[in-house]
Amino acid sequence: MPALLMRDVRFKYRGAPDYALDGVSLDIEKGEFVTILGSNGSGKSTVCLLSDGLIPHAVPGSLEGRVEVFGEETSKRTVAELSTRVGIVFQEPESQLFCMSVEEEVAFGPENLGVPPHEIRERVEWALELVGMKGYNSRSPFSLSGGQKQRVAIAASLSMRPEMLVLDEPAYALDPVGRRELYSVLKDLKARFGMTVLLAERDCEEAAAFSDRLVLMKGGRVLESGPPRQVLRNPEKLRQVGIIPPQVSEIASILNSRLGKAEYSFLSVDEAEMAIADGLPAWRRGKLR
Amino acid sequence: MTGFIDLYTEADTFIHRMDPRVKIVAVILLSLVAFLLTNLAYLSILLGLIMLLVYLSRATFSRTMFALKFVLRLMALIIVLWPLFDRSGTPVLASLGPLKITEPAIWRGLTSAVRVGCLATVWYILMFTTSQRDLVRALVKFGLRFDYGLTLAISLRFFPTFLSTIESITDAQRARGMEIEKGNLLKRSRNYVTVLVPAIVSALRTADTLSLALQSRAYGARPDRTYLREIKMRPSDYVALSVIIASLVLPAIARFVFSADI
Amino acid sequence: MIPCTSAIPSQDKVISIKNLKFTYEGGVRALLDICLDIKYGDYLAIVGGNGSGKTTLAKTLNGLLRPSSGAVFVKGRPTTERRVSELARVVGYAFQNPDHQLFCSSVEEEVRFGPSNLGYSEEDVRQKAEQAIVGMNLSHLRGKPPLSLRLGERRRVSMASVMAMDPEVLILDEPTTGLDAEEVSELMRRLRRLNEEGKTIILITHDMRLVAEHAKRVVVMAQGRIVLDSDPRGAFTDIEVLRRSSLEPPAVTLLSHRLSKFEIPQDIISPEELVLHLLRSEGESK
Repeated sequence: MPALLMRDVRFKYRGAPDYALDGVSLDIEKGEFVTILGSNGSGKSTVCLLSDGLIPHAVPGSLEGRVEVFGEETSKRTVAELSTRVGIVFQEPESQLFCMSVEEEVAFGPENLGVPPHEIRERVEWALELVGMKGYNSRSPFSLSGGQKQRVAIAASLSMRPEMLVLDEPAYALDPVGRRELYSVLKDLKARFGMTVLLAERDCEEAAAFSDRLVLMKGGRVLESGPPRQVLRNPEKLRQVGIIPPQVSEIASILNSRLGKAEYSFLSVDEAEMAIADGLPAWRRGKLR
Repeated sequence: MTGFIDLYTEADTFIHRMDPRVKIVAVILLSLVAFLLTNLAYLSILLGLIMLLVYLSRATFSRTMFALKFVLRLMALIIVLWPLFDRSGTPVLASLGPLKITEPAIWRGLTSAVRVGCLATVWYILMFTTSQRDLVRALVKFGLRFDYGLTLAISLRFFPTFLSTIESITDAQRARGMEIEKGNLLKRSRNYVTVLVPAIVSALRTADTLSLALQSRAYGARPDRTYLREIKMRPSDYVALSVIIASLVLPAIARFVFSADI
Repeated sequence: MIPCTSAIPSQDKVISIKNLKFTYEGGVRALLDICLDIKYGDYLAIVGGNGSGKTTLAKTLNGLLRPSSGAVFVKGRPTTERRVSELARVVGYAFQNPDHQLFCSSVEEEVRFGPSNLGYSEEDVRQKAEQAIVGMNLSHLRGKPPLSLRLGERRRVSMASVMAMDPEVLILDEPTTGLDAEEVSELMRRLRRLNEEGKTIILITHDMRLVAEHAKRVVVMAQGRIVLDSDPRGAFTDIEVLRRSSLEPPAVTLLSHRLSKFEIPQDIISPEELVLHLLRSEGESK
């Protein structure tokens, strides 16, 4: 059973002239780390909202098609019920932390579920440790950096022990340090728990390296879905979708065209370094141009 | 930027450890005592006791100064204005046309000032030693619906954020040549619109995301939600409560039963 | 405190910062002894992580923040001598969050707000607004309420409204966040054109790729100080300084450092350049 199943989904926000999703079919298997790449209006945020039932229960609009989360139709379950299986993190750190201390924030979810206090305590400590914010219990949200706030937001979702984590452009408002901290937490979640992750991004420089699959969206449709190497092979296609390709992919693509081959694809600087160090002597010797 | 709302200073004093409900009741009862006492000497003793409690609450210097400045200004205002409006009694110390400064009026003004000082300062003790979370928790335990308690807590939490947004918006509009102070009433109202509209839109946007976040954390899932930190009355709280009730009952008896001049 | 030295003649400086210190109420020392001269027509990027002081510095340039000590001279006069609304004539500031500016019922009205505050004549206001609207590709949206537009469009409106004031210096705070690839290209094209027309452009950003591709001068800030001031190639050569300032050089520069043993120059800032050096024949000089 897939973690998320979408079949021929069409959705229009109430009052909007166009469809936000125009026939989307998408599966996410348990344990997969999928990054949806798309710019404004691509529909990636809408997919996020669908994955935990906020659409259709909290966001008005007209929904067609099938959406199932771990085998259950989202229209037949409340958001509260789905929240124990799917956690969601939004892009604006300020708008999703509403308590006066980190501990309260992370405890809020389990409290609503009626979890006994000693177990809440365990979950809070566990979640904070996972995101690298152990010991920050009594800190107020005002004293945290953007990256720290987003990590607390992730912890606040994790304390509900979901099986899938959905993040809608979580690094949007963050500086490079914050981004690095955030992605390191996500990498960790994948490595340690095999957690199913759905990440919606417009910037794929980091996500490409550790995603199992990239999904390109534009205008409410899925254009391509596949392993990062495949999807990033043609950086021009990314630009057409409105995404700035990772620089290493561009390097690979230019290298390929100059060499008249198609063998190179780089997902990270490390990979590029190794492949180039390997091939360089031969290129130079062969005086290829 | 949270100085105005966030008066709470984390510390480990006996006041901090008291159950917030007892503290709220204490503040109300001490306020009643302040109204009960009419004798300036006794009121001053009360004020002294309250100041002592403020000191014991170990609030930070800046917060204490903030509170003190407010209270002292209020008291000074009353001392100065009272004799101007209360012109009865003898002897008359000075007069200018209809204005008469009489000695009894000065004493009455002082008494009122000290009383107001007590009333204002006693609330600071509560604010310095009780976190917002505990305050809201106490109110909910008193019977406030959790929904309203949460609304109150969220409003308090976002107040500094809102102020900071308004500051940012004002900066942005000033950078477009708008002068917020200049002009007649009409122009200034227009200027406020340039700040108000983006501020409200920003607040609404935040509220939107916030409501989605609340729902995704199962808010309202069941009526019997649990609490990580519970507030429980302990023996020391009951003792404190008795002392406070006594501090109201004894003067009340003295005044109403024995007509003592307190 | 060492007095600032400068090799640039004063009449060429549109902005001159001398020993600027700024401390926020509450004690946070955001700027510690800044010396910086900006020439007319400069295209400059001020980069640094959160807390480096870059936004604080930018706000002293248009008078929103007054120096705690030292001075900021705009066209020869200290900023403290003029009101913010007067300085807005010379130094335009496009804020990071466009939603903090938009309040009118139409894009046209919004873009006219700035120039009309500056006291231009009716005709001038109309003309300047028109230029800005066309320049930022907003003609087809002119009658729409700005708040109903998508983020990328709102950002363009907010920038147009600043450009319409026709300032000599344009400061843009994180202008590309939230824009798609095409919008970024368009914006940077427009900025390049404005720079060619003689405007001084100051970008505040932490996107090093953007800086590498467009800026002519990079000022790196960390903890309230300027730690590096050079052209992009010079700036990216010193990876350590960047790292200490919580910044990452573009991937291509990082890669060229890692491949230094293959005689790759250390100041590469574009993929094409890198591939060129990778594939040059053995023994060929740069």
